[in-house]
Formats: sequence, C-alpha cells, structure tokens
Amino acid sequence: MDLSDTQRDALRELGNIGAAHAATTLSTMLMSNIEMDVPEIHLIDISKVYEHVGDEIAALVLFQITGEVSGGGYVLLHIPKNSVIRLTNAMLGMTELDRDLTEMDESALLEIGNIMVSAFLDATAGLLDVIMLPSPPSLIVDMPHAAFQSIITAQDAFDINEVVLFRTELKSDQHKITSNLFLLPNPPMLTDILAMLDKLLTP
Amino acid sequence: MEKNQNDWNQVVIIGIGDHAVGPGPMSSIGLGSCVGLVIHDSEKCIGGLAHVMLPDSGGRTERPGKFADTAIDTLVTILVGQGCRKTALVAKMVGGAAMFKTLSENLNIGERNITAIKENLKQKNIPVKAECVGGSVGRTLTYYPSDGGKVVVKLADGKKNEI
Repeated sequence: MDLSDTQRDALRELGNIGAAHAATTLSTMLMSNIEMDVPEIHLIDISKVYEHVGDEIAALVLFQITGEVSGGGYVLLHIPKNSVIRLTNAMLGMTELDRDLTEMDESALLEIGNIMVSAFLDATAGLLDVIMLPSPPSLIVDMPHAAFQSIITAQDAFDINEVVLFRTELKSDQHKITSNLFLLPNPPMLTDILAMLDKLLTP
Repeated sequence: MEKNQNDWNQVVIIGIGDHAVGPGPMSSIGLGSCVGLVIHDSEKCIGGLAHVMLPDSGGRTERPGKFADTAIDTLVTILVGQGCRKTALVAKMVGGAAMFKTLSENLNIGERNITAIKENLKQKNIPVKAECVGGSVGRTLTYYPSDGGKVVVKLADGKKNEI
C-alpha cells in the first residue's frame, strides 16, 4: 500500500474537519479553549506500532464505524489516566486528583466519547456525502498498544502487514487535559474514502 | 524480521509479528490478543521471543513470528542451529487476552492463539513451564535469557510479577 502526497493531504484535511467538530463539542462541555494539532497520518508496519503507541495506562473508548462505507473501521478516543481524572473533575466541579477511576469517570468518558465521535464522524461523512454511524462505545482502561494490537488483529489480519494510523491531539491547557482521536480505517474503507476524496478533488 | 539479540545491556523490543533469538533481554509491550512466546534453553541460557498475532499461517512463510505454527518452527530451528539440545528447551507464554467485549465475541483470537501454541509445542515435546494468559487485560513481557530465563509480566496499573 502506498499513499501519495495528494492523498495524504486530502486525508489530513478530512481529519482536520472531523477533529475540529469533535474539538468544538469538547470545548462546549468543558467551557474552555481546546487546542488542536494538525492530524498526523502514518502508514506503519505492524511491527512498529509500538513506536507510536505505548503501554502507559489510559482510557480507551472504541467505536466501530458502520454505515455507507465498505468494511468499516474504528475510531478510538485515547485519554491518559491523569487526564481522565482532570476531565471528570472539570465537568463535575471536583478537585481531588489523587484518586482511582470510578463509575463516574466511566460514565463521563462514555458520554464525552459518544458526543465527540458522533461529531467527528458526522463532519467526515458530511464532506464525503455518505452516512457514517458509530456503534455503541466500548470502554477499557488499559495499555494503548494492547488495544491497537487487538483491533488490528480483529480485522482479517492474515495479509495485513501495514496499518494507517490517523491521529489528532486535542488539548485543554486550562485544565491540563490531553486526548487523542485515532481513526483506524480498514483497507476497504480506506480505498472507499480515497476514491471519494479523489472525486471531490477532480474538477 | 529476524533479529539477533546479543546486547546484554539494552532491551530489544519485539513488535507485532517479529521474533528474535539471543542471550540479551527482549520485550514485547502491550500484548492484547497477541501472545508473547518465549522458548528458552535452560542449559545454554539463550532463547527466543516471538510476538505471535494469529494461530495459523495457512502456509505463509513471510513473517514467521506472526503465526503460532511458524513462530515455533522458526525459534526451534534457530536455537537448534545455535547448538541447543531440543530436550533442553522450555516455553513460557504471556498474553492472549480479549480486550474489548465488542471485538472478542466474534473471534476470540486470544484464546485460539493460546490453544494453537500449546498444540504446536506439544507436537515438538516442548513443555510449557509458565504462563500468564487469557482474561481481559493487556500485558508487557520482558524476557531475560541469561538470568535463568526469567520473564517479568507488567500490567497497565504498573503491577509486576515474575513467571
């Protein structure tokens, strides 16, 4: 698999629009400014995934993409544990930082994940003029690499040796919260998206 | 990709589908449904680690570390080629979890990886000396061949245990 510069730019722009909508929803919920990075697009060998995601504990909210894209793919919201605590605290007006994650954090994560990922997919799908819907979320608090590895394996992984990793960082400096939105399209979905973008870019 | 781990001071990371053999420390981080498979020579204190992703190669020969059957074949062949006696080999395995309920229900690859590795090891008469497998948690494995084949398993919350 190869991605041309034009395809990378188009994907980055698509991600940018999606992430901007997700950032707006997060900003509204936190009533604070959200800083957003330019999305990164990496085409990486499966043996090098560990160079991009590690094993530090984090909340991982997984959504499968369904709708008018073949094969689908996944969106994963990644928030490091310390940021989860600050996020729930900011939403509920609490201050205790040295605590374990509770059901309250889990509810907050599922809610935030739902709203952010719906906004992300709506904006992305709107640009492509298709319908994309998130499945109900699945939340774990564990190692990011273990989650990615399981997601890649759950696709038809026999002949998959490379994956596209699509990452946007969303931060609130005011609340010291970091989060990452990952889009993991599986190969048929990526082909679909690239074809749609190609059509959009052809005058 | 095959790696030789001859550096005693630096831990080499074995990524998904990779494998390595040598006396130096090796690690596979964030194992979910994948299994970190160690084959250790208790006499020569060297060994190999493969980051196994799927139970069966279906005849594929590229990336032998990716599949349970080819990973075991390859590690044993390299170790025997380096002068290890087959009867001195023992195995340890870590991983094979089902991380997400939504992903695991249709596939349960973690469990199938564990079963396939055990069957393949049995055919080669290599005993499983220790394991830390299944469940729903991610694990990081670090293997120290020269330290008696010690394997340290770390969980996301930082807890460690030795197997």
